Amino acid sequence: MTLLPWLVTAWLLAVGLYGIVTSRNYVHLIGCVSVVQSATYVLLLAAGFRWGAGPPIFYDHPPGTPAVDPVVQALVLTDIVIGAVVTAMLLALALQIHKRTGTLDPERLRPLHR
Amino acid sequence: MSVLPPLPVAGPLAIAGLLLAGAHAAPPRVGDVVALLTALAASVCCGWMAMDAANGPLVYWFGGWQPRDGLVLGIGFSVDQAGACFAAFIGLLFAAAIVFAWGYFDTVRSHFHVLMLLFMAGMIGFCLTHDLFNLFVWFEVMSVAGFALTGYQLRSSALSGALNFTVVNTLGSYLLLGGIGLIYARMGALDFSALGRGVATDPGDPVVLAAFALLACGFLIKAAQVPFQFWLADAHAVAPSPVSIIFSGAMVSIGLFGVARLLWPVFAAAPMVHAAAGTLLLGMGAASAVIGGAMALIQRHIKRLLAFSTVSHAGIMLIGLALLDRQALAGTLTYMVGHGLVKGALFAVAGILLATCGGIDEIGLRGLGRPIWPAGIAMGLGGLLLAGLPIGLMDQGISRIAATAPVWALAAIVLGAGCTGGAVLRVTGRVFAGMGPVAGEEKRAPTEEEREKADRPLWLMLAPAALLLALALGVAFLTGTLPDNAAAQFMGGATPGPAGAERPFLSWISLSLALALAALDLFHHRLMAAARIATRLVHPVSAVLQAVHSGVVGDYVAWVVVGLALFAFALS
Repeated sequence: MTLLPWLVTAWLLAVGLYGIVTSRNYVHLIGCVSVVQSATYVLLLAAGFRWGAGPPIFYDHPPGTPAVDPVVQALVLTDIVIGAVVTAMLLALALQIHKRTGTLDPERLRPLHR
Repeated sequence: MSVLPPLPVAGPLAIAGLLLAGAHAAPPRVGDVVALLTALAASVCCGWMAMDAANGPLVYWFGGWQPRDGLVLGIGFSVDQAGACFAAFIGLLFAAAIVFAWGYFDTVRSHFHVLMLLFMAGMIGFCLTHDLFNLFVWFEVMSVAGFALTGYQLRSSALSGALNFTVVNTLGSYLLLGGIGLIYARMGALDFSALGRGVATDPGDPVVLAAFALLACGFLIKAAQVPFQFWLADAHAVAPSPVSIIFSGAMVSIGLFGVARLLWPVFAAAPMVHAAAGTLLLGMGAASAVIGGAMALIQRHIKRLLAFSTVSHAGIMLIGLALLDRQALAGTLTYMVGHGLVKGALFAVAGILLATCGGIDEIGLRGLGRPIWPAGIAMGLGGLLLAGLPIGLMDQGISRIAATAPVWALAAIVLGAGCTGGAVLRVTGRVFAGMGPVAGEEKRAPTEEEREKADRPLWLMLAPAALLLALALGVAFLTGTLPDNAAAQFMGGATPGPAGAERPFLSWISLSLALALAALDLFHHRLMAAARIATRLVHPVSAVLQAVHSGVVGDYVAWVVVGLALFAFALS
């Protein structure tokens, strides 16, 4: 196991968070949320990866041959579904906001005060 | 193996699907009736399991994948008393919210009820599951249903509140998932018991500590604890009132329930985690109690005020958890249920104001609540209970928490309870009794025009609030040793710690603080000197607090990063 996937994870998390904090447009911000999410993909896949192992499907080779961990792949699938739902939801909200206020700048869209 | 555990989750999910499929053919009230009956049935089922679980948790393995030779491959539900009781309370709260929302969402057919049932199934699954990833899945089902319910009305403030809520909570989910990935990489298991055994073999492993930090941050974002609390007021204030009942009553404490699950079944054998939790979580809880209370006191938007009081009381619950004591845990579990019932009733009263008086601004509504005085009685009683009236479930909880808490944490509890109770009592006095004359600048309402549909009779909206308050008072006489047994089971049969001190004066101190704060604001024209000093002291603090709660999602995420750094520092 090399260090590379863990470094990529940390990098994706950091740039995604930086993007969200500094964003001035909701569509860009939603993109940054997806970047943070891709950090979790890399993390999970790296956790289950084994060098020289095949896919965890024993249709054409006998059970017992080395395979990567199927559990994390199931987790990543679930993660992708969640990501799709949340991104769709966020974009729908952003669209409605743009229809009502004509802007997508978080600074100008503060919810009510006091 | 019992067959009951999956029922309260699978049933509502299946019925939600059927409701959605039949949404266009069904007559108008079918959605209300079906959803109400489903919520009640789920609650009864969970209550039944709570009684069964007295002799040990009920275990159910999905697809019959039971563990063999200690190797866990399947996903299990393990229903202990604490989880089952909390799930039963959630079902009841949903039933109350659905009655409150009777006919409110006619224009959208049954879609509201479909989302509510999904929301409930997610929460109940969260309470019953015994698998870390499964926990995350229910967490996410609950969150997505919550996001959709917040932005339901498509007003611009509701939309930006929903966006802030969604972005910050989604980030929390990803932190949670990162933590799950890390702990799975090290342990190769996701079942709570298997993880607990794995952690016990190498409790000081840095990967395990990092996993704890990420998992705890994820749950604390949901629980809205300082410095993760910012999204909560934006979301709870703008969500439709029936949804706010659920958000404040159950969704926040469920985040803390997640933290409790981490502390006991999973990280019970990691002394470093417990040491860090004891200091950091205690500090965060105390900070949340005080800051939430102060923020509640300076609001005039009633739902926003109630939302900040939720932050404050969740802080008190976190103090209870962080004491890492059996009696305190029993108190925390009791307090979660008691607070949920009271806060649900208070949001119902806020909804009544929105529907019958056509506004939610405290100053604008001055005296307008007189015709609906029964709602005022409910709100006043709720305020007194928040402030620590020594009767009912909340008081039972707080006396158990207070018995082992250090003095500075007690001070935070008193401040939190006093400020939030005082704020609610002040609103009651101003809206329902017309006290506290206002002049000039204050009259200008800074909030946008808001009202909710006004076609429901008052008694129909008031009944759920009255029922919730009656439960918060009445159930206290029936609990007996249940909280202690549930806490012992939750902690895996821990021996009780040394019996703490009785602190009978605590509730009277916070109650008098609340009454004093309410009186100071309502009668400030008679107490010139005192009011002037108080204003001069409070103004700079309130200005800073208001500025920090900026409403910009980027700032909130920056605070999330600060919170993560705090965890990293405490665990290093």
